[in-house]
Amino acid sequence: MKAENINPFILSVTETFEHMLDCRLESGAPTCVPEDSNQPDIIGVIGLSGTAQGIVALKLPVNTALAVVGKMIGAELRSVDSSIIDGVGELVNIIAGNAKVKFAGHSISLSLPTVVRGGIYKLNNLSNTVWLTVPFKSELGEFAVSVCFKAEVSSQKEATHASVSCG
Amino acid sequence: MQVLVVDDSQIMRKIITGALKKLGVNDILEASNGQEAVEMLGKPSDIGLVLMDWNMPTMTGIEAVKKLRSDNVSIPVVMVTTEAEKEKVMEAIKSGANDYLIKPFNPKDIQGKLEKFLPALKG
Repeated sequence: MKAENINPFILSVTETFEHMLDCRLESGAPTCVPEDSNQPDIIGVIGLSGTAQGIVALKLPVNTALAVVGKMIGAELRSVDSSIIDGVGELVNIIAGNAKVKFAGHSISLSLPTVVRGGIYKLNNLSNTVWLTVPFKSELGEFAVSVCFKAEVSSQKEATHASVSCG
Repeated sequence: MQVLVVDDSQIMRKIITGALKKLGVNDILEASNGQEAVEMLGKPSDIGLVLMDWNMPTMTGIEAVKKLRSDNVSIPVVMVTTEAEKEKVMEAIKSGANDYLIKPFNPKDIQGKLEKFLPALKG
């Protein structure tokens, strides 16, 4: 994954939070982490396919997820229910949708988002890619976005889907 | 005047209806796919504006718009979607959508569409 390909995703996360949630973000430096060392509680995953392929994962501790989704719907949420799951799925869908239009000249489609809760899983990257993870801080809490992405499409198309192994 | 919110995501319907209520619109109907919306709009109603998602099961938003226009239903439809590419916007307008609202949006964006299509609600 070319490092500059992370920028549209960082910009999309920032725009989504500022425009939809009126929440300013502070982003940290992207890091290349092969395996999650600090597993979040809720993760929204979505696949990108077309002339570029990738996976976007929005990783939220429970408290951040409650605050973010609560702000989205204008309610105070105290526990993880279907609203949280739907909200995280919708949020990763919006972030990926907003990011894909920033790749000029590409035609990219999104998969349906998947939301996983719990800490025992392994997020598989696409072949020949690595995960780049960007941490964010905000008044709603800390969270991270991980992206693996490749703009070059091989002659034999690789099916892109949100791949999560649980165990 | 009623506003019909069409989205398969319950949370997105909550977000939009919440924004509408903040803007003083309390008469809101909801549908979870294009087919439901077409059926609701085929009956006599006070619906004056439709806020329509694009990607939905059973019948997509764009299929619903095409069906409505072929049935001579002329109620304004605003597509509310992440499909922000110029080609997609053109496809929606050619299919009969009146306007476009790209996610992420905020209540001010919705207010702009209300003022454009339901000026009677203003003030």
